[in-house]
Amino acid sequence: MSDVTAPMGGKVIDVKVNVGDAINEGDEVVILEAMKMELPVVAPEGGTVKEIKCKKGDAVEADAVLVAMG
Amino acid sequence: MDIEDKIKELERRNQEAELGGGAKRIEQQHAKGKMTARERIRYLLDEESFEEIDKFVVHRCHDFGMDKKTIPGDGVVTGYGTIDGRQVFVFSQDFTVFGGSLSGPFGEKVCKIMDLALKNGAPVIGLNDSGGARIQEGVISLGSYGEIFKRNVWSSGVVPQISVIMGPCAGGAVYSPALTDFTIMVKKTSNMFITGPQVIKAVTQEEVTPEELGGAMTHNTKSGVAHFAEDSDQTALDRVKELLRFLPQNCREKPPETVCTDPSDRIDKELNRVVPTNPKLPYNIKDIIQVVLDDQEFLEVQKHYATNMVVGFGRLNGSVVGIVANQPRSLAGCLDINASMKCARFVRTCDAFNIPLVTFVDVPGFLPGVAQEYGGIIKHGAKIIYAYCEATVPKVTVITRKAYGGAYDVMSSKHHGGDINYAYPTAEIAVMGPEGAVNIIFRKQIAESDDPEGTRRKLVEEYRNNFASPFKAAELGYIDQIIFPENTRPRLIRALSMLKGKRESIPSRRHGNIPL
Repeated sequence: MSDVTAPMGGKVIDVKVNVGDAINEGDEVVILEAMKMELPVVAPEGGTVKEIKCKKGDAVEADAVLVAMG
Repeated sequence: MDIEDKIKELERRNQEAELGGGAKRIEQQHAKGKMTARERIRYLLDEESFEEIDKFVVHRCHDFGMDKKTIPGDGVVTGYGTIDGRQVFVFSQDFTVFGGSLSGPFGEKVCKIMDLALKNGAPVIGLNDSGGARIQEGVISLGSYGEIFKRNVWSSGVVPQISVIMGPCAGGAVYSPALTDFTIMVKKTSNMFITGPQVIKAVTQEEVTPEELGGAMTHNTKSGVAHFAEDSDQTALDRVKELLRFLPQNCREKPPETVCTDPSDRIDKELNRVVPTNPKLPYNIKDIIQVVLDDQEFLEVQKHYATNMVVGFGRLNGSVVGIVANQPRSLAGCLDINASMKCARFVRTCDAFNIPLVTFVDVPGFLPGVAQEYGGIIKHGAKIIYAYCEATVPKVTVITRKAYGGAYDVMSSKHHGGDINYAYPTAEIAVMGPEGAVNIIFRKQIAESDDPEGTRRKLVEEYRNNFASPFKAAELGYIDQIIFPENTRPRLIRALSMLKGKRESIPSRRHGNIPL
């Protein structure tokens, strides 16, 4: 199961899922702000949300795990 | 022996050759979901068009008891035929014969058709399915590979070369596909790597499966070595045919034209709404690309790699174009190392084969970061500049939104040879984004004001209105026309039609020195 990671460093401005949600490949999971733009971070594959590892306002690095999937 | 017997003997030999390594090995190939070498050729080429060459060639090895076992064809099926009526040359490696391993004669067969293709100016399609060098051949196999690689290079940019990886392709064998224009891989049954999992485990203790190390998706996502990942032999071969429709026979010809039934003056009102007015919001650049092209058909190349850069083929009014575009939905459309290489390679491929370029720009800059700097973004970014400035095919640019800083220059700007440069009203062409610019220009004023934040916001708004627009650039003639998005298709078609007769050359030299 692929975790959802940050494609680039930025600030978390919205988390769109809850623990336990079943999501599909391509669903928006987190909105990141970087380079003055809002970037949707999407699920690389379908699965269930196991743990949310970030919250609104967090500064995250590239490749940081945002949402753990199970 | 009378003539009847001689004919029967030829038929017998033909049938024997066509069985390759025998019925059992053919069955093993099928059991893995793979076609045989000959089945692939039959599927790829127009019906009954295949002329086989060197069917009876056998190896000449006397070491290790090899002289007792010869198989006609020696592991590769070579020849010529047509695809959609167009001349092509093909080699199809036969995994049922000595594991498709390469010998001296195998290499000579491949070189023969590569030489014919070069002399006659026609594409070469290589179907790879081989265990690599035939060890019993010793250094002869290395020499053979070397001769093939040289021909890949001498043919590079002269005739299209397409590689399809339909089985193993390991060790030195990978260099031939690496030197060709496009590499198509079949998922699960094909892989490419220089050193395989066993050697890697022994030397670095890393554990990795062949699929993880060099399978279709690895090379389509991580390494950027491949351009397409297909589900089966059949769809991979379909992809070859599709690709060829966008390519000319050779560098002296233009790509094939088609009859276009999609109106050249088609207005697309939905394009007015694609670029959000809020500059922070992303959108999918493919929503623009797809709409403007003939019949909304877009063949995306390297779809899974460097998704912040979109490249691929389409048609406008029946003529082939190469599309290059920043993708705002991915990495905010920033340019990074991988996107730079993907872009530059595609631009040069189009230029090599007389394919005009249409570039859609929405780029906030280069991706910041230590990894990018250590990774050499300086020289990789320079590749984009090199590719566009070197290209003498017609170049039309459309700035849809951001074009900031150096990224404005590199993305097919007028200064780098853009023939016609358009911008949407939503374009923001500036040396820097408003926030960054204001922080520098008005640093003192902001610091000394009673309400720094309020002052900053006002100045940012003013800067945005005055400078983050297409008008300054249009006043300078850096943009030829500011266009309504709904008119994108007719504008592009008119510009490209005007440019049909374009002839341009850059100063002559032995060859340039592109940063690598």
